[in-house]
Amino acid sequence: MAKDPVCGKDIDEEEARQQTGQTRFGAAEVDPQKGTRRFHNGTWFYFCGLECRSKFMASPDSFIGAGSS
Amino acid sequence: MDFAFTPEQEQLRQEVRDFIAENVTDSVRAEVEDAMDEGHGEEYMKLRAKIAERGWIGISFPKEYGGQDGSRIDQYIVEEELARVGVNVGLSGSGGPAILAAGTEEQKQYFIPRLIRGEVTFALGFTEPQAGADLAGLQTRAVRDGDDYIINGQKMYTSSAHYATHIYMMARTDPDAPKHKGISIFLFPMDTPGVTVRPLWTIQNDPPAPMGTTYGMGRTNETFFEDVRVPASSMLGEENMGWYVGAMGLNLDRVGASRYLISVRRDEDIVNWVKENEFDGHSPSEDPEVRDRIAEMWIEAQVCRLMTLRSMSIVEHGGNFTYEGSAEKVWAPEHGVRTTEGISQILGPYAQLLNGSIGAVEDGVFAHNLMGSFQSGINHGSVQVMRDQVARRGLGMPRG
Repeated sequence: MAKDPVCGKDIDEEEARQQTGQTRFGAAEVDPQKGTRRFHNGTWFYFCGLECRSKFMASPDSFIGAGSS
Repeated sequence: MDFAFTPEQEQLRQEVRDFIAENVTDSVRAEVEDAMDEGHGEEYMKLRAKIAERGWIGISFPKEYGGQDGSRIDQYIVEEELARVGVNVGLSGSGGPAILAAGTEEQKQYFIPRLIRGEVTFALGFTEPQAGADLAGLQTRAVRDGDDYIINGQKMYTSSAHYATHIYMMARTDPDAPKHKGISIFLFPMDTPGVTVRPLWTIQNDPPAPMGTTYGMGRTNETFFEDVRVPASSMLGEENMGWYVGAMGLNLDRVGASRYLISVRRDEDIVNWVKENEFDGHSPSEDPEVRDRIAEMWIEAQVCRLMTLRSMSIVEHGGNFTYEGSAEKVWAPEHGVRTTEGISQILGPYAQLLNGSIGAVEDGVFAHNLMGSFQSGINHGSVQVMRDQVARRGLGMPRG
């Protein structure tokens, strides 16, 4: 289980990455309700939504260490 | 300097109009427009095949790759006529021109004919959550591993990722190089393992934009790449030269008529609406303020059209194309915003009613265009970045 580094909410990485559909030409689709993520300096960070991710991106150093990857 | 079309070009325009009258029926248009948010449907593909049979798609591309070695302006004439009925016969954005300019022979042989036939479509994977206007700040990485690269990262606003066959994307291949110099471009199928698409819904999604909306889509996406392994042959151009290949493709694509063509239909729709409707026995076209406003929009649209044709003329004559596409990319979207605002003033309070509302004009098409028009000034190079390019490349000013 990862932690949203901004709001501290628990995020199930497997659920966020789990395929729930497929695009017309075969890419995996995920459920947008299960949160989002961010590849930052070589590490994936997980967020409950775009709002937390936007806050993280504005000042990543202030949040790194608060969450897990 | 001759601003007129040649007799042969006028004949081509008439042939396209005759083709449209015969083949673009209301049912075809309905299917084409209904399918836009989910990619093209069966009717569109049949229509596209008929258009391609006539040699009208990719006219300016070399014959050896399925084009006609023809004039870009001939291509423009075909695109302009088809835009009037909502049919887009573009080649999936800046990927085609970039492949033609920087691709290997194998890449050209594979991709260009398929783009022309509509069998290959690209999702554009440039923008990232923190790298849009500052695109060179992108963080997606590609690391060489034997004959492959392994890609990790994510892209934002990959608008056609849910129906594209391939992605045309930038990744950082040298994290230690200055940011513009460590980037490479890759082309690979969307079904490559490790590619994941997450839907993002826009203001055009609920209620859904009606037929005839020219601005914005109901769905876009973010696309994730997690240990995506692609062969080194997927790279377009040389390693670490992707910034320049991508910029060249975007610049060449801006020569295209798409920005202007977005406005053709919207501008013509409002002209037709004011001429065809009556209120209390009077047509809005009799109102001097309405007439003035529409005339003003038309004049602006002609500036847009002339800028487009000038850019094409420079390319046709082998000229050095530097800032002209950027200038168009400022004028066309801002013209779009001004006209959608002007239309909303003409229609008054009814202009705000969206699809499904009682009293919505033309199912809310003008209201949806008003909402979506602002997007056009942001995507594929924001108007602010474009102004900077005009200042530097066109006016010789220093980097700010």
